[in-house]
Amino acid sequence: MTLRHALASLLLLGAPSTLAAGRIPYGGELRVAHTGPAEPGEPALADSPLEATLLGLLSRPACHLAPDGHLSPALARELSRPAPQVVRLTLPSPAQATALARAWVRLASNEAPSPYRALLFPLRGEGRMLSPTGDTLELPLGFPWPDMERALCHPALAPPRSVPAALGPFSATSANTVDARLAWSQGRPYLDRVRLQATDERGLSRLWSNQEAQVALGVQTDAGTPSGAALYATYLAWSPRRVPPDFRQAVESALDREDLTRLFVRGPAVPMPNLLPPALLPVSPGARPTPPPAPRTGRKVTLVYDAGNEDQRAVAERLQVRLHDRGYAVALERLPRAELRTRWARGEYELMLHSLLLPPVPGPALAVVLDAAGRKDLLGVELPRIGALADAAARDTRARERALALAPSVPMLPLYAQGLALRAVPEVGGLVFDAQGLPMLDGTWLQPAVTGVPGARR
Amino acid sequence: MSRALAAALLLAALPAAAAQTPAPPPAATAPATPALERLAQAVATDVRAMKPEAPVALHLSGGAPELRRAFGTLLASRLASAGLAPVVLEAPSPEAAESLAREQGARALVRLGLSVEAGELRARGDAFGTWVNFWSGRTATRAPSPAAAIAQAVEADAAALALAAVEPPRTPTPAPEEPRPLRLLGAVLARLPSPPAALAAGDLDGDGKDEVAVLTAHAVHVFTAEGNLLTERSLDVLPPGSAPTREPFGALAILSGPPRLAAWSTRFAHGEMLTLENGALRGVSRLEAVPLGPDARGAFVPGQTAFAPEVRLGHGEQRLAVTSRFTTFSAAHSRVLLVHPEGSASFFSQPSVAPVPLSGLGAGSALGDLDGDGTPELLTTSPELQPSPDVLRVFKTDGSETTSHEPLWQGPLPSGRALYVVTANLDGDKRREVVVGLTKPDGTGELFLLRQGAP
Repeated sequence: MTLRHALASLLLLGAPSTLAAGRIPYGGELRVAHTGPAEPGEPALADSPLEATLLGLLSRPACHLAPDGHLSPALARELSRPAPQVVRLTLPSPAQATALARAWVRLASNEAPSPYRALLFPLRGEGRMLSPTGDTLELPLGFPWPDMERALCHPALAPPRSVPAALGPFSATSANTVDARLAWSQGRPYLDRVRLQATDERGLSRLWSNQEAQVALGVQTDAGTPSGAALYATYLAWSPRRVPPDFRQAVESALDREDLTRLFVRGPAVPMPNLLPPALLPVSPGARPTPPPAPRTGRKVTLVYDAGNEDQRAVAERLQVRLHDRGYAVALERLPRAELRTRWARGEYELMLHSLLLPPVPGPALAVVLDAAGRKDLLGVELPRIGALADAAARDTRARERALALAPSVPMLPLYAQGLALRAVPEVGGLVFDAQGLPMLDGTWLQPAVTGVPGARR
Repeated sequence: MSRALAAALLLAALPAAAAQTPAPPPAATAPATPALERLAQAVATDVRAMKPEAPVALHLSGGAPELRRAFGTLLASRLASAGLAPVVLEAPSPEAAESLAREQGARALVRLGLSVEAGELRARGDAFGTWVNFWSGRTATRAPSPAAAIAQAVEADAAALALAAVEPPRTPTPAPEEPRPLRLLGAVLARLPSPPAALAAGDLDGDGKDEVAVLTAHAVHVFTAEGNLLTERSLDVLPPGSAPTREPFGALAILSGPPRLAAWSTRFAHGEMLTLENGALRGVSRLEAVPLGPDARGAFVPGQTAFAPEVRLGHGEQRLAVTSRFTTFSAAHSRVLLVHPEGSASFFSQPSVAPVPLSGLGAGSALGDLDGDGTPELLTTSPELQPSPDVLRVFKTDGSETTSHEPLWQGPLPSGRALYVVTANLDGDKRREVVVGLTKPDGTGELFLLRQGAP
């Protein structure tokens, strides 16, 4: 047998059309259609799962949490604790360190108020006095807070994409195209390019059915539709000084969360009876219905909601109807999200719908919720007690217990929690969600072409 | 493999011996209790559960004689501790063991077949009472109890594999040219805290046996032939690379005269030349070229788990005629194999001649002389992106006897992605062993050893 004959046997064993020699293939362009904005805003405002996903293509926070809780660096090259009360971030360059510090200082200041500032509350000075040293950012803690690193992985803590030093796995080459960033510290994405197409729901259906999109983000859920963890939580907040004391009772008695998630909210959504979403605080069955207060007429309130969130509009209208039966004449006012947050920070609202992307860790999530509810005063009491527990499971349990205990005392009612659902064609491989419930497009790849199997879709 | 080596490995596996040696670091070790011990314990528990009457006869079949004897010794020890007065029988077959057990006065018989399959050491068989009712006459009827089926398996380790691989004594008539069929048995050699990025094997300490070196994204680990961690060195002192890869990837080679280890992970801007001194790795110089092999240098494709199509051989500037990027490089006996990303390959019988194009190869491919005939075989994993399970196949690269299009051997690998394969001389004989680097689903790594088993 000749050498060529002996080796020719290998030829018979392969199926070349689907082979990749066991390694994930590089290259290709992924066409992604979505129902989000063409250009997501700054991280603290681009906090819906869809916007956070789009923003994450271009600007990443310091770290990344996998679904199994494993933390890995993202923008930061390294996260460490040189001392128990100090978190140290090593960034790729001084420019990234400066950009990150500025973004966090802005978040914690009155310049761009956001409930996500609560994630930085455990820092000494609540993160208002950060200054990097070269490519290093040292974060001294005001009290023990072992969950600090996990909190820093929140997408709202990424530098704004408009900052030149912002880094993500992709870089924008045009309004709707992002290219793989070769120098991304966690490794360049497998894809060469992602082409993004913003559209509405009908457009999304059309692009999908016409096979013009390989991934559709923000679809309605069917059986088997992949979706991320439901951590985008929506609350009804009120100003205690501007509504009657029995308002909570009135809303509780009028509210049917199942009804909201089934009929008024699109995408994957679950009723949220507790301050934390069911993904963080499992719902215990058998909650007793709240008896309605004696109806009184003539009480006028205004409910402000996010103009960029269609689900909030539907829910606001539903609340308007339901509260009418309880004697409340609810006027609706839609506001841009930035204006909504400004009103929230000033306390200038009677009723407000609040949607927050909560971190996948109960302690930091509770911090965000309490701040959003206007009870920032509780953070200094509750967080040190949670952070004092060294065991992560014990901290999570304590945070859940405190969420249950504090629920009646915060002027905010949980309504529902949403996740992000998507569809992808079979040739898209490696599409998984992170712990935050966001799809990791930088980890996807296009499978080698399969001949003779015309575009079956899942 | 020599009997002495097998015995040495077995002794090393026993707890008493292990207790005298320093505990290996927890990051990269084989299971603490030897596989034979664990299997003997599991089978003894099964036997005790059926409450047999002493004395209990044991009959073992399958596997190499050394494996049977070692397991018989351990199992008998366990049963003796339980007061079952075990007797190990030598009978030509399990059927013959039944009458032999009765002749020797045993009141119960345990018949087990031993094997090493798919990385597991397995014992399967039955156990029953040998008491015969007086009224049965000459017919050896069975009693209703005790009776049980036994099927136990534990993850094999290097010591079990060494015993299973012991050759039977050769007949005095010389038959050196008779080809021996290739049959590989596998077991876990070592566990890694993170997935491998490259593998290499070579004699770093001059003891005549190869060490296995593993590059992970951030460190280099060196293991002994027995799978014990000899040393490890973090590479984090090196400056970060400008185009790292998402998956661990790099190049590792063991250079001769004096032995050195050349390592380069894509996480870092350059590689490092290391030497093994007093059991520790020490950096001696900076690497500027990617070490594809002891005598080959190349370059990475920036950001990708692939090498650029440029290979320089030897100390000069001889270039290999490569036209496309490749993910795997292997050289042996002046032959060179390059595996390309889509599963094709270029095989050079000599560096100076045109390559033979191949297809259907996996990234885990290597050249190595497994049968000791002086000609390297080609080893390759599955070409599919996500095979389940992955399969290692061995092909001839040269032949003069029969025409065959079948692999010399093929067998499944444990779960995980098998992207790295290297051959090593772990026992000093002519036949090289195979080490497969696996990326496990839980994000760790594993070295899986395959060596020639007893026919």
